[in-house]
Amino acid sequence: MNQDSTKYAIEVKNATVRFNMASEKVDNLKEYMVRLATHRLMFQEFLALKNINLQIRPGEAWGLVGANGAGKSTLLKLICGILTPYKGSVSINGSIAPLIELGAGFDVDLTGGENIFLNGALLGHSKEFMQRHYDEILEFSELRNFIDVPVKNYSSGMKARLGFAIATVVKPSILIVDEVLAVGDAAFQKKCTDRMDAMLSRGTTLLFVSHSVPQVRNLCTHALWLDHGTPRMLGEVNEVCDAYEEFLRVPVSARTAPAAPKHTDDGRYDYLVVGSGISGATFAYEAARRGKKVLVLERRDHVGGNCATREEQGIQVHRYGPHIFHTDDRPVWELVNSLTPFNSFVNCPVANFRGQLYNLPFNMNTFARMWGVTSPQQARDIIAAQQGECSGEPRNLEQQAIRLVGRDIYETLIKGYTEKQWGRPCTQLPPDIIRRLPVRYTYNNNYYNNRWQGVPEAGYTALTEKMLQYCEVRLNTDYLADKARWDALADRVVYTGALDAYFGSRLGSLEYRSLRFEEETLPQTDYQGVAVMNFTDAETPYTRVIEHRHFQETCQSPVTVVTREYPQAWRPGLEPYYALGDAKNTALCAEYAKLAAAEPKTLFLGRLARYTYLDMDKAVREAMDLAARELK
Amino acid sequence: MSAIIRRNKERFKTLLRYRDLLSQLVARDIKLKYRRSYLGYLWSVLSPLMVMVVMTVVFSTMFNHKTANFPVYLLGGNLVFSFMRESSSHAITSITGNASLLKKVYVPKYIFTLSKVTSDLVNLFFSLGALVIVMLATGVSFHWTFFLIIVPILELYAFCVGLGMMLAAVAVFFRDVQYIWGVVLTAWMYLTPIFYPVEALPDKLEWLVTRLNPMYYYVTVFRDYTWGSGVAWTGNILRGGLIAALMLLIGTAVFARTKDRFILHI
Repeated sequence: MNQDSTKYAIEVKNATVRFNMASEKVDNLKEYMVRLATHRLMFQEFLALKNINLQIRPGEAWGLVGANGAGKSTLLKLICGILTPYKGSVSINGSIAPLIELGAGFDVDLTGGENIFLNGALLGHSKEFMQRHYDEILEFSELRNFIDVPVKNYSSGMKARLGFAIATVVKPSILIVDEVLAVGDAAFQKKCTDRMDAMLSRGTTLLFVSHSVPQVRNLCTHALWLDHGTPRMLGEVNEVCDAYEEFLRVPVSARTAPAAPKHTDDGRYDYLVVGSGISGATFAYEAARRGKKVLVLERRDHVGGNCATREEQGIQVHRYGPHIFHTDDRPVWELVNSLTPFNSFVNCPVANFRGQLYNLPFNMNTFARMWGVTSPQQARDIIAAQQGECSGEPRNLEQQAIRLVGRDIYETLIKGYTEKQWGRPCTQLPPDIIRRLPVRYTYNNNYYNNRWQGVPEAGYTALTEKMLQYCEVRLNTDYLADKARWDALADRVVYTGALDAYFGSRLGSLEYRSLRFEEETLPQTDYQGVAVMNFTDAETPYTRVIEHRHFQETCQSPVTVVTREYPQAWRPGLEPYYALGDAKNTALCAEYAKLAAAEPKTLFLGRLARYTYLDMDKAVREAMDLAARELK
Repeated sequence: MSAIIRRNKERFKTLLRYRDLLSQLVARDIKLKYRRSYLGYLWSVLSPLMVMVVMTVVFSTMFNHKTANFPVYLLGGNLVFSFMRESSSHAITSITGNASLLKKVYVPKYIFTLSKVTSDLVNLFFSLGALVIVMLATGVSFHWTFFLIIVPILELYAFCVGLGMMLAAVAVFFRDVQYIWGVVLTAWMYLTPIFYPVEALPDKLEWLVTRLNPMYYYVTVFRDYTWGSGVAWTGNILRGGLIAALMLLIGTAVFARTKDRFILHI
């Protein structure tokens, strides 16, 4: 579906492996004929793996954990091509070195040296290749003196050493290891882990099965927990291992069965998520990868909510205004990056006042341009002098702004922009709209102060699609139009739509600010040289111009897409962009919140359901926390 | 159609990639066959020789025969039939015998069957030495057509590969094929004119054997080339080639259709 599926080292899509367990072993003609004739030829279908979805990127190290019989070795054999899936598909991108039992293929009558060539040939290497690496193998296995002895005279440790040396002589792009490090003495184990570490640091992808959870934590970055053939949990290694160890502590009789995705579709779901924006999608992802069956309903004809992007000739166009991900929250950053890679875009918007360009946020670049000052102290002095104009309590936004940054900055960079946004003069706006205005006395144009910032290379829609990959999604479906029917399908409902709409707006409508966009595709490779340009004068009717190609680090498109943002007064029916946080609406929101708390099986999540402004990373964090509380 | 061509191109490329494995497996079989034995590869020559001596003595003293150059006649037929017998018997267990390997490593499964048949072919070439010795000893004249024996041998190789694959595949699902095959081989040997001239058969049977027994073609052409008429072309070559191609097609088709299920039954 996406282009970056070719970037995966291993991709398993909906794979199922079926074994026919004959009720009694029928492996000769007579039995077969007799049973065929007497209609007693019965096979019991045993699904060793059910609906496995796994995407492993090059360089990742995945551990496979699970109880005996969970299907770990079966999954490895599936990936190596030894088993073929009954349903679904497996695709591999790169050379595989499987270590499924060392010394498989040793002919015990041949000598160690002859077996090097035979085993090498079994693994697909040519004779010349094995010749070149012959000494290296002897070196690693420390078997130089025994190489002409038939393997049947080797000890198990010698066989293991030889097997491992042969199997790892090549530098594969994908290494698959199945519990082989259980044999051998401590020195050998150390040698093996050292070699595997060396391979990993070179960027080899690793798939590792082990019963030793500490070993998995040590070597791997991600983990998959298999339980009775279904994925019970997958994700970051410590998370999964913690959950698995927790599970192991529970006595066997008290263990709960995994919530396996049901084969027969009885139409019931564990969770119904209304809205596929970033909040809904994150919750759905967290629930689904813990084995819950999730249905996602989306009113629009696309997923992603207001973060959605659309591809236009190689440019990811932010359909509902620019969205830049910035966060200090490491788990959130790692979560989104694990789904789709983010680039290192830094937002450095530019303000345009009557044709004059200034850097934002207010920093030394801005001041230098405005007043010609060169030192921070000079800038401080000017601002301090201008702030003095407005002493005492500010009664409106204008006074508040001057008190914070002085008249010059206010007139040039704040007044026109804010008046366009709100449709009223600044003297008529309440002062608490701007609680503070960040002023930097350094030459730093980074709009945000967060540790991590970026934009997904493949677009936010790709991120949302990845989050929704384990769920059933229905587009063009309005939950509120048939609420009772949808509610009956699931045990719990997570609602990310508008708060008042859920209750039929019976206490009144919450108010918003809206936006209007005019999009244009121009046949040139650069329009304004920057992703976001704010127009802070009153004469320009639009507030911002967004040039989408600049969000991407390398964009080869021959065209550029430019969007002009116009502020728009909101009325019911228009897209609600920003919650109007004034006293009246806040009070109304509190009333609705009381009703929401009383709802027995519905949870309210996201910017619309909570009637607030949320940065994307905060939305993800809230969804993750809600999922953690729910799915404990 | 193009899908079939593409698939076969893929198969051919895989075969090329694993050619080293094939040669390793053949080499292993040959190396291990006579390792630790005193006479080593000499047995490839001695063994058929000894069999021939015994059979010649038996059939000369016990049965009356009118065949000229009976030792060479006997040996030639025996060598050819032995190749078919050995290769098919080895091939039957080639998959089930390598079960542990197939469960652990990805190898194209037909490599095992192919390697068994090929090792037996190499053995056949060694035992041609026995034939040359006997021809010299009995004073049979060599014709230039002797070198054309490569043709029936290759046809027979193709036939045995096809047969071997089919048997190997069937044996995975029905183990008793191994034992049934032993009986089939014995009957087949009696139906092939190895130690009797074909004219000795009753007419009806003779007609059946000369038309429907593929081994008849290969044995006859082989004999014709080694010491017979000195004629380069007979209709049997064409028939033998057709049967070989057919067998190869059937065998590989049966194998290819069932190979994905091997892992579940071995």
